[in-house]
Amino acid sequence: MSSRARRLVRRLRRLGLRLRRRAGRLAAAWRSSMQLRVISTALVIGLAAVALLSAFLASTIRDGLFEQRIDQVLAESTRSTVQAQATFNSATATSTAQVQQLLNDMIPALQVSGPGGRDVFLLRSRSNSISSSVLEPNTAPQLRGLISDDLRSSTAEADGQRWQPVAIPVGAGSVPGVMVGSTVEVPASGTFELYYLYSLQSEEETLAFMQQVLGTAGLVLVAFLGVITWMVTRQAVAPVQRAAEVAERLADGHLDERLVVRGEDEMATLARSFNEMAESLQDQIQRLDELSTVQRRFVSDVSHELRTPLTTVRMASEMIYEGREDFEPVVKRSAELLVNQLDRFEDLLADLLEISRFDAGAAVLDAESRDLRDVVNSAIDQAMPLAERKGVWLTGEFDDGSASADIDPRRVERVVRNLLVNAIEHAEGGPVEVRVAVNPMAVAVRVRDHGVGLARDEVGHVFDRFWRADPARARTSGGTGLGLAISLEDALLHGGWLEAWGRPGMGASFRLTLPRRAGIVLTTSPIDLVPQRAADEVVPGAARHDENGPSSLPAVHDLASAHPLTGEIPAQGEHGNQVEVR
Amino acid sequence: MKSRVLVVDDDTALAEMIGIVLKTEGFDPVFCADGDSAIGVFRSSAPDVVLLDLMLPGKDGTEVCRQIRAESGVPIIMLTAKSDTVDVVLGLESGADDYISKPFKPKELVARIRARLRRTDEPAPERLAIGDLEIDVTGHRVMRGGATIPLTPLEFDLLVALARKPWQVFSREVLLEKVWGYRHAADTRLVNVHVQRLRSKIEHDPEVPEIVLTVRGVGYKAGAAQT
Repeated sequence: MSSRARRLVRRLRRLGLRLRRRAGRLAAAWRSSMQLRVISTALVIGLAAVALLSAFLASTIRDGLFEQRIDQVLAESTRSTVQAQATFNSATATSTAQVQQLLNDMIPALQVSGPGGRDVFLLRSRSNSISSSVLEPNTAPQLRGLISDDLRSSTAEADGQRWQPVAIPVGAGSVPGVMVGSTVEVPASGTFELYYLYSLQSEEETLAFMQQVLGTAGLVLVAFLGVITWMVTRQAVAPVQRAAEVAERLADGHLDERLVVRGEDEMATLARSFNEMAESLQDQIQRLDELSTVQRRFVSDVSHELRTPLTTVRMASEMIYEGREDFEPVVKRSAELLVNQLDRFEDLLADLLEISRFDAGAAVLDAESRDLRDVVNSAIDQAMPLAERKGVWLTGEFDDGSASADIDPRRVERVVRNLLVNAIEHAEGGPVEVRVAVNPMAVAVRVRDHGVGLARDEVGHVFDRFWRADPARARTSGGTGLGLAISLEDALLHGGWLEAWGRPGMGASFRLTLPRRAGIVLTTSPIDLVPQRAADEVVPGAARHDENGPSSLPAVHDLASAHPLTGEIPAQGEHGNQVEVR
Repeated sequence: MKSRVLVVDDDTALAEMIGIVLKTEGFDPVFCADGDSAIGVFRSSAPDVVLLDLMLPGKDGTEVCRQIRAESGVPIIMLTAKSDTVDVVLGLESGADDYISKPFKPKELVARIRARLRRTDEPAPERLAIGDLEIDVTGHRVMRGGATIPLTPLEFDLLVALARKPWQVFSREVLLEKVWGYRHAADTRLVNVHVQRLRSKIEHDPEVPEIVLTVRGVGYKAGAAQT
């Protein structure tokens, strides 16, 4: 292929692309605007109708116009021919010169006899066998060629008149005309053919004018049609557009927004129905709001009502506990139990109230820019005494560089403390590893233990309220059973994730991922939920979709696709389990 | 001399229990069970510290707080069953110095009362300057151009803590420890609310503070002395 051809192909391709793009834009406008569709359809149909009508009218007019003129022309020629024949019959000319004179006089008389001009040709008939030197006179020698052989022969054969449409050359163009032929008997010279040439120019002009008028009228009609359609659709579309706008405002939370109801027509009905819908929506939302307020109020009241007597009981128990050395052993032990269990009761009450606050939607994020490492450090400090008591080795591995994020330090610290306490209690003396990592979008902390671990069905339940890994096991750990449920709520309140992974005998791993700024939607976490070493230890493909996720959780996904190490289809046998909550 | 503590609480059992605890700790408790009579009892008993329940029959606790604050700088500790932000902030804004949420331990209560009362061992006369203010630490006075600005003891302590080390930025946690006597991390809203209150009294324009400056992300520091 030559370079020129290639250039041409390229240009064509570019043109095609541009056309496609333009077509795409047009198609989009077509789809998105009902008004455009209706107007274009009306215009196309209107244009077609007007074109058809004009064509029909034009042809009818033309036919009528010409037929009438032809009739008139034929009648006129007949009359003239009869008159000429009469003149010839009554003539007494016998010599060639006399006949010539007769013919020469006849021609101008015939030319002016009718209304309007015509040209006249007198030709000797071909079948005329009388030899004569009479010349064939005419009024327009240059137009003689318009008399065709066909016409001549048919005129010669027929009795009456024959006619044929012709084009009369005028300047560079031509005008339509009619050539009418008939035969006359000239004295002493035999049969002659008499031809009249009528110009139809005035009819042609009339026709052109009519066509012009028709065309203009058609265009005006189509334009009117467009305007009318536009106005009609405007009337129909405008209320719909208004309704759409108001619906959008409603969706944005402006519940007081209403449509204006005018008149009694369909649009007014639409507006009324729309307003009723908005009204009922507003009612419902208000009722829900009130319900939520009542709920919050109730929680607050319960809080106060329970807390005041609890304070008294607590103070009394402390007083009794202070003096326990003076009591009998049974009473002394009772005092100790009383104080311990009051602590638990208090924790439980506090957690219950916290959960109710989440349920009522009354939990507020008190975010500030903090370094996650500081928060985690503080949580580790608080968990240290417990770790020492349980003989658990606690290690922290923090990324260098700032791990600052907009977080509620109280809540995040609570989550991490919770995860730490959980890990320490289930570590069975093994190490607990804390890792903090960052990426540009998120900060994350992972708490990993190597203790009893979690079974397949347990992973899905760790965030359930009051759920315990082993119901048969004594409740030595004193937790309220709400810790992880609250932690999950805290994570969700930040727009973050709290995920769990576990495998029996291999320990468990919890990962908290938080967006660095409000509004960031998390897509990945800076740390793997499953530590690489653990994933390598077992069959690859340790991910499992957990369908039995707690119903209160927003969604339960499979991590398989997100995790390169565990990306294969799970095989039968020993699997790790993980559940992800986002 | 025993310190007198006014306990304003409608729950008689709790009030009695607090009374027992306070007596064993060597305080002299006085009781009042409703909001309407609180101010009268306060005037007649002249306590050294007030324990005030926020939910009271009759006058609301915050209203009582405001009344007491209007005529005295005596330390007020709120007893609250609600630890929700709004309630606590409302109480602090109406003039309370500190709050303690129910249920509390006797030791905790006593520690808070002691912290509010500790302010006896003033050393040698000390005068500080911060912004265009002059602070007479011993005389417990703050003056601007010779005129005294009335501050509550807690606000005074807060100002002095900042003014003593004008080169240092204090985190909210450090201020909680220095001024309120908390040893563990506690509610930093206490600091925020009291800084606002202090600013409204000493700043020319509380919106553009020149004396107690905020250091974003860290805490507060004293403005430079102008003399």
